[in-house]
Amino acid sequence: MSVAVTVPAPSAHPPTHPIARAFARHGRAAGLTLLVLLLGFLSLYPMAMLFYGSLHSTPPGMAGTFNLDGYAALASNENLAALVNTVALSLVKTVLSLALAILMAWIVARTDTPGRGVLEVLITLPFFIPPILTATAWAMLGNPQVGTINLAWKALTGLETPLVDVYSYGGVVWHMMQYSTPFIFLFVVDAFRAMDPSLEEASRMSGASHWQTFWRVTFALMLPVTTSAFILSFIRGMESFESAVFFGTPVGINVVTTQIYNSITQKAQPDYQSATALGFAAMALMFVLLVVQSRLLGGRSFTTVTGKGYSPSVTRLGGLRWAAFAVCVAFFALTVVLPVGQLLLSSFFQFFGFYQLDMLTLQHYRDVWENDEFWRAFGNTMLLGVLGATVTMALGGIVAYVTTRTSWRGRRLIDILAWLPWMMPGMVLGIGFLWGFATLPHSIPIYGTLWALLLAYVALGTPVAVRVTSGAYAQIAKDIEECSRVHGAGWWQTLGRILVALAWPAFAVGWVLIFFGIMRELSASILLYVPDTEVMSVVMLKMWVSGKPEEVSVLGLIMLVLVLVFRWVQLSFIKKRISTL
Amino acid sequence: MLRRTVLGGLAAGAALARPAAAQDADWGKVVEAGKKEGKVVVYTASIGSPFHKTVFKAFEAKYGIKVELLEARASEVRERVRVEQSAGRFLGDIHHNGSTTTWLMTKDGNFQPHGAVPNFKNIEAPYEATDISIPAEVISYCLMINKNMVKPADEPKAWKDILDPKWAGKILSDDYRALGGGAVFFMVMYDTFGREFHDKLAAQKPMFSRDLQNSERRVARGEFPLYIPFSLQDYNNLKGLPVKPIVPVEGRPYVRFDLSTLKNAPHPNAARMFLNHYLEPESQLVFANAGYNPVVKGVVEKTSAEIRPLLATKAMGTTTPPRQDAMLALAKEIYK
Repeated sequence: MSVAVTVPAPSAHPPTHPIARAFARHGRAAGLTLLVLLLGFLSLYPMAMLFYGSLHSTPPGMAGTFNLDGYAALASNENLAALVNTVALSLVKTVLSLALAILMAWIVARTDTPGRGVLEVLITLPFFIPPILTATAWAMLGNPQVGTINLAWKALTGLETPLVDVYSYGGVVWHMMQYSTPFIFLFVVDAFRAMDPSLEEASRMSGASHWQTFWRVTFALMLPVTTSAFILSFIRGMESFESAVFFGTPVGINVVTTQIYNSITQKAQPDYQSATALGFAAMALMFVLLVVQSRLLGGRSFTTVTGKGYSPSVTRLGGLRWAAFAVCVAFFALTVVLPVGQLLLSSFFQFFGFYQLDMLTLQHYRDVWENDEFWRAFGNTMLLGVLGATVTMALGGIVAYVTTRTSWRGRRLIDILAWLPWMMPGMVLGIGFLWGFATLPHSIPIYGTLWALLLAYVALGTPVAVRVTSGAYAQIAKDIEECSRVHGAGWWQTLGRILVALAWPAFAVGWVLIFFGIMRELSASILLYVPDTEVMSVVMLKMWVSGKPEEVSVLGLIMLVLVLVFRWVQLSFIKKRISTL
Repeated sequence: MLRRTVLGGLAAGAALARPAAAQDADWGKVVEAGKKEGKVVVYTASIGSPFHKTVFKAFEAKYGIKVELLEARASEVRERVRVEQSAGRFLGDIHHNGSTTTWLMTKDGNFQPHGAVPNFKNIEAPYEATDISIPAEVISYCLMINKNMVKPADEPKAWKDILDPKWAGKILSDDYRALGGGAVFFMVMYDTFGREFHDKLAAQKPMFSRDLQNSERRVARGEFPLYIPFSLQDYNNLKGLPVKPIVPVEGRPYVRFDLSTLKNAPHPNAARMFLNHYLEPESQLVFANAGYNPVVKGVVEKTSAEIRPLLATKAMGTTTPPRQDAMLALAKEIYK
């Protein structure tokens, strides 16, 4: 692929207006200050409220005393066991998901496996299905008593012992993997595509085998992206709630988030002090991980997209390409066909999981169609999703540039500020936003408006945006950027016309990830919405709690259709762009 | 609580002692002012209930006052009210939540006296209004069985029947160690039968899950033959499935939902009208036909033939908010 870079025209003249001159002189400092203030408001401010909550016997606004009771409670056997469970479960699922995702990303991006374009869309689908629905579907498929898989197993073998039991550590890991595998896949697949194959060719010509080339060159060059994906996924695993609450809690497997949930909702007097302290303990663990990642990658070069032209190449697998095809199809069948098939089927029957002909109905589709609240929420969610994802990617692109491409003072602070929201479990951070926004002066119209939701979504999405874009930036040689600057392009021009232009497939992936993250976000939404600003996740919760899983299935299917449309548009653009280069 | 009950009684008594014409004129002024306010904002922990929406729509149709709903889980509603009020934001008018949360919030000073409301006279014992809260509707708990798995002869008739070893490993249950129906069941069984009941039930190894609606479906699908404690109003979502609610001979544990007027409510007159509307027999009949026990007189008799026998059963008891945390700790000790 030859990388055609349009070097911007030089700026005509230096600014003459005094304000413009002052801005040019102090622009960087002003811009950095603005960025720090914005990120500080989005992440440090709610976090500070939570920190206060962890040190105070009562939540903000109530009389109480400062003490360390919340942190002292961490040392209970129950909490320590939950912490160990959390780390172990997340580590196992992240390692397994990473291996599977990298294998599938390589298959899709760098081999001649048949149907790669379609496979790429199909593999990512599980990520976009609401977890509550896949959990219900797997509970029906893999419960030890009457699960479909176990009934089939017993009928086939005549054995009485069930083959699988989803109410176990394995069940929790498996359910988490359905989200982390496509998440990591989305992260790494474009990095595989953007890599200069000449490096691999050099390896092969030097006598290395396919495997050695993959491991020593391809995988090694993917390190920034894969470690970013690993860390993001590991942290997300530590914050995962649905998998543990569905499949772990009933058999006594507790994790940090279920403990936090218990502290807030299961006691007569909600214990915010313990909940926030537990959140900070989890955050400290994650922070250690980030330091390790930084040490691992420090000072190494991962440049693969340079100003020199290169053309795409694929590894020819021969007969093995059908095996590669089978791996991807098996993943799709297990994580999409089985649960989504059940959703689709159930949406046409009166009751989820009861497939009798006399129960066939279109009533659930009619109910959703005629539900005013759903349409209001749909409109709000689309608006917030499009705006939120766009603003977040713009912010993430700037933050990533400052933190990875410059040596400006204050960039480490910016990096940390942008990371903070990802490291605090969502249900705790949601409380931080509620406390933070509600206690703002009334003249700042955020609380009780769509702004509250938008700002929370931007804060929650920024870490993903930063990781996605910084992973992509890390692959772009500095000489292209310098060339642009030498030709007189300004900072913004270089960012927009060089970095964004070259990293835009990653931007597109980040946008989709954030858009659907917004569609699913519940913890902050439920605490920030007001009667006119309902969003889809809140409507789904209402349907679920009022015993209408069939209508939730309909919403899940609508979301899946949206995903297919978005992904199709995105991949069509990528193809079109590659063919024009 | 006693002081508030007495005050509530005195307020209602004083209102009743006044000439009927004067009361009507006073209430007329409330209605007039409420209509001018134009809306009432309700914070409720009853999420997604179509029956509540039916009652609210009837209120809108009757008075032309819009009902705006903020639905969230009990602790979320409570925290929103608390933080809003401490920040000087008074956005809600009515609070609708379980009696334990209402009791805690009353202690925190989140409510204001609601003032006299004509339909207080409709309230039926043992339910009662205070000057701060009024009973709204009652959730009753019973057993639910899968009819395909439990033969009629084997159906439990009394609560103690579930202690029979034949049910070991076959009971799916809401968690007694968490606030909710499970905790209500735990306290009432403890108060009625003593700790021995729970020691024996713990030996049956019930499987706990807090996802109530999904648990009911799991029983319907045949994963477990028996579910406890089953909220009677959930039966509406399960009609057509092979399940059957059973109210044991000793009666049904219950938990009351309360209504209160939030402090500095922006629409106080519309809020009073809303409380009054809630206690209309027609409103309560909607709840009763849905499986909630009504809190006003003469409603159970008018319910559908299917639900009436279940509602007209003995109320065994309910939670006592001050003892709640101690009971949760005890449940944790017994059900490890």
